[in-house]
Amino acid sequence: MLDQKINELQAEIDLRLPQITSTEELEKFRIEFLARSGKLAGLYEELKTVSKEQKPLFGQKINALKQSTETRFESLKSSILSSADRQALDVDITLPGRMIPKGSRHPITLTMEEMKNIFVSMGFGIVYGPEIEDDYHNFEALNFAANHPARDMQDTFFVKDDIVLRTHTTPVQIRTMKSRPLPIRVIMPGRVYRNEAVSSRSNYFFHQVDGLYVDKHVTFADLKGTLVTFAKNFYGNDIKYRFRPSYFPFTEPSLEMDITCFLCKGKGCRICKHTGWLEVLGAGMVHPNVLRNCGHNPEQVSGYAFGMGVDRISLLRYGIDDIRIFFENDIRFLNQF
Amino acid sequence: MRISYNWLRRYIDLKTSPEELSLKLTSLGLEVEAVDYLGKELEGFVIGEVLDVQKHQNADRLKVCQVRVHKKQEPLQIVCGAPNVSTGQKVIIGLIGATVPHDQHDPSGKPFVLAKVAIRGIESSGMICSAKELGIGEDGAGIMVLDSKAEVGTPLAEYMGLNDVAFEIGITPNRPDCLNHIGVARDLAASYGKKYTLPSVILRENKKDPVSKLATVKVENTIDCPRYTARIIRNVKVQESPAWLKQLLTSAGLRPINNVVDVTNFVMLEYGQPLHAFDYDNLAQHTIVVKSAAKGEKFTTLDGKNHTLNGSELMICDGGKSVAIGGVMGGMNSEISSGTSTVLLESAYFSPTSVRKTAKKLGISTDASFRFERGIDPNITADASARAASLIAELSEGTIASGIIDVYPKKIENKKIILRTDRVNTMLGTTLTSSQIKKFIVSIGIHVSSGKVKGTFVCSIPTFRPDLEQEIDLIEEVARLYGYDNIENKTSSEVMFSKPDQKEQRTNSIRKWCESNGLNEIMTNSLIDRQTAQLFGKDLVAVRNPLSVELEILRPSLFSTMLQTVAFNYNHGASRVHCFEIGNIFSTDDSPAKNYVQGYAEKNMIGICISGTAHALSWHEKQRNVDIFDLKGLVLSLLNGIGLDNSNLIYYNAPSSLTEMTIGVEINGTYVGSIGKCPSNLLKKFKIEQDVYFAELDVEAIVAFDTAKKYKPFSKFPTVVRDVAFIVGKETPVGDIEHVIRTIGSSTITAVTLFDLFEGKTLGEGKKSIAFSISLNSIDKTLTEAEIDSVVSSVTGAVIKKFGATLRSM
Repeated sequence: MLDQKINELQAEIDLRLPQITSTEELEKFRIEFLARSGKLAGLYEELKTVSKEQKPLFGQKINALKQSTETRFESLKSSILSSADRQALDVDITLPGRMIPKGSRHPITLTMEEMKNIFVSMGFGIVYGPEIEDDYHNFEALNFAANHPARDMQDTFFVKDDIVLRTHTTPVQIRTMKSRPLPIRVIMPGRVYRNEAVSSRSNYFFHQVDGLYVDKHVTFADLKGTLVTFAKNFYGNDIKYRFRPSYFPFTEPSLEMDITCFLCKGKGCRICKHTGWLEVLGAGMVHPNVLRNCGHNPEQVSGYAFGMGVDRISLLRYGIDDIRIFFENDIRFLNQF
Repeated sequence: MRISYNWLRRYIDLKTSPEELSLKLTSLGLEVEAVDYLGKELEGFVIGEVLDVQKHQNADRLKVCQVRVHKKQEPLQIVCGAPNVSTGQKVIIGLIGATVPHDQHDPSGKPFVLAKVAIRGIESSGMICSAKELGIGEDGAGIMVLDSKAEVGTPLAEYMGLNDVAFEIGITPNRPDCLNHIGVARDLAASYGKKYTLPSVILRENKKDPVSKLATVKVENTIDCPRYTARIIRNVKVQESPAWLKQLLTSAGLRPINNVVDVTNFVMLEYGQPLHAFDYDNLAQHTIVVKSAAKGEKFTTLDGKNHTLNGSELMICDGGKSVAIGGVMGGMNSEISSGTSTVLLESAYFSPTSVRKTAKKLGISTDASFRFERGIDPNITADASARAASLIAELSEGTIASGIIDVYPKKIENKKIILRTDRVNTMLGTTLTSSQIKKFIVSIGIHVSSGKVKGTFVCSIPTFRPDLEQEIDLIEEVARLYGYDNIENKTSSEVMFSKPDQKEQRTNSIRKWCESNGLNEIMTNSLIDRQTAQLFGKDLVAVRNPLSVELEILRPSLFSTMLQTVAFNYNHGASRVHCFEIGNIFSTDDSPAKNYVQGYAEKNMIGICISGTAHALSWHEKQRNVDIFDLKGLVLSLLNGIGLDNSNLIYYNAPSSLTEMTIGVEINGTYVGSIGKCPSNLLKKFKIEQDVYFAELDVEAIVAFDTAKKYKPFSKFPTVVRDVAFIVGKETPVGDIEHVIRTIGSSTITAVTLFDLFEGKTLGEGKKSIAFSISLNSIDKTLTEAEIDSVVSSVTGAVIKKFGATLRSM
């Protein structure tokens, strides 16, 4: 008799519990089943009607039912309450977060920073010099003789007969060699100017990073090693490179370094003028005349120097097809960096 | 410099393909910038035969031709306007799809692609071409008629022997010896370990006609003209050059003109010696005088341009007048013409400096001046003259007068340079032996003998290598011939520390701070126009040869170019421009200060410009436009951000001619820059219709301060916060009141924060209410109520007294 009642109540609970979705229904269930005058308590009342021998058996059964019901009720209650909490606060978490506005650094800065970081990690310091420069530092001390065709390699803006807008960052080499003790190991980033018509591929000002290492026993092999280390760090370990003899009045021997065009992978494209190679920097051993101009004896001291353009490399790195966009400063452009 | 593959092969046996040769040249420092496969341009042009010519029914000047271009195919119908077309001719046909290199009807002669068209109602499937249209000759009056033996259907490139490849080589200024084919062949021979051969010159001189009797040469200026030679060729017939010569010149990028001029050009590209041919009969008294120009002298060059000379130019004159500017360009008055019968051939060595000065001054650059400027071989003069004379005689059926007039008062001898083996190796980081080094040096035509010291050489530098001036130049030659790639890439194990520079690091943190706080970094032009520049500064620095008047002045302030950026973005629909730039500004400065270059000051500045809305459109904040306090807060936060404590900073009203509401910023007593509002006249000029706020600070100054962190103990006792509110006159500066509060309560007040500010009718006319939150504590005890009250009341008392304030109940 009681056995049947227990089973009936169990079935009723099994049916009712899963239907509960709100706090009101929870409360109703609690009062109906779990409260002091609820149906479970009613079963304990019924215990009085069974024989002494059967009491422990039924007692156990009712206890088990009560316990499992309470456990299930509690877990249901906590899940219903937490979602109720949310509704109570009325928060739409799909609303946008309060954003901190994003700024940007200029792509040329980013390229320059990366170059600087590599050279600094290789033990180079960083020095700067003026953009308005005198003929002595820009040309003469760098072994550009007056009336030498080498001066044509760099179309020059003049402020006065002997004052120019520097055509390269190389004059900072002279200033550094004249003001610092050996060994000197520095890079010289900055803006330079050339009197050239503006087009999608060239601008009348651009940015360079020059480098200089002067000490005893610096060799051409050291120069090559440094350049390869830089290029692998900057362009990637798997690049192919080549060194070509070239000419700069302030270095001898001079070289230019090419790397495989990273757009066409050496197959030849518009960017590399169908050669498969991109010229990335010029370098060489500091010319003895330059060392002498800075008060060093070329028999005892040697050095290497290198220089690279930042703007053109930035064009290639970011896939930009017109150099002028760098200096238009459209925020739709800037926000991409 | 264009070098022809076929031409090179006249002097050196080349088995390599043009592709391999191109790599070889580049590895020698003769960088191949482009390879031009010559036949390519003439693809689509074939030999055709005119079968029939009929008048065009709708046009008097046009003819309708039937032309066979393939033995087995139907003839093509082509409408032709040339007066000389007739049946039976062998002609050049441009087929549909071919690109005609030169459009005769276009003023700039642009190329065009042939299409099937109807001309005055009659279909035309191609074009019969003139020499000019094909870019292979000057004649554009009629179609080009070929030899009757020409075979129908032959591609034009094949017919013309244009199976050549031209290399566009970027010759660096130190290699004038490679501005000609023999020079390039010599370098290749050295690299391949091969021989190269010079052309054999057979001079058939007329012994009965000595040149000394025909002309005299007098060199008055031997400094600018160290050597001058002349030969005379008589009875020449000026005519078209033979095909081989025209082909080689065309390959090398020159347009054939006539046999005499072509030979002078040919020998220039062969030996590197520029030559000039005068019409002997136009030379008064058959005399050549080489002297400096008369000041103010007028001269018309071959290209028809008139020049007024200043007296520094070296002139070639005859008995009466100037006939050429030495080494630069000939004159109209002695040009070779079809009627020329006697040629005086000049082969000379002019001083590089003199030619360069003159060419630069007159704005003329010719193949000749280009070579003289860089330095030709002064000892090739006579050989080149003989070569040219023999060719002219051969091609023009002329006769050569015997002998050469050679004015060469002081022979230019080979330079001697000592080369040390150990020096080579210490410079290059190599371990080359003396004999290896010697082999390289000898291979480029340098005569070598052993020096006094073991392992040294005395090198006799031929005059065709003016760039080899000292030992290091020979070391480069060794490196070049050994191969740069064969030299080790040494990565030194020696460690060298470079202490990260504080200025550098702090400039980087400025950039990063700005980036993290919503500012876009920009980079603007350093050059602007004078009128704009004048609005932003005085003591302007101007460029003397600007690209345009818009780019004449070096910016006196970053504001000038940053405003352009704001305007640009404003015009492109941006509603919010918050940007910064780090760059240099310029002015003239006569103080003997720390300027790099005497007379010019250059400062590295950071400019910050904000305009438009304060923040992006959002659901949680109301849109508003920026004001001066946005920028003031931004700048001070930036300075805090890079480690400058507020206690180091002072800012004050600093009237400025450039901005309104200007706030000057000082760090530890040093003025570093200002913050302000762009005045309306500037906004108007830049066509900006919203307010712009601008700050400019000296980067050098703000990164120079010591910002080393030092711990300051703070109180362990509770902080008490009291709010006080005052009603003061509207014009009373809040900053002054705050200053008084801080000063009076300096021992216990740790923070003073303005948290409320309003004006209203209830306060009375001309009044405002300000409320401060004041934090108090003591380093060594808990403040008692009485102590707190005492501080607060002394503070309020001072404010009431000093500013006539009244206390407002909170």
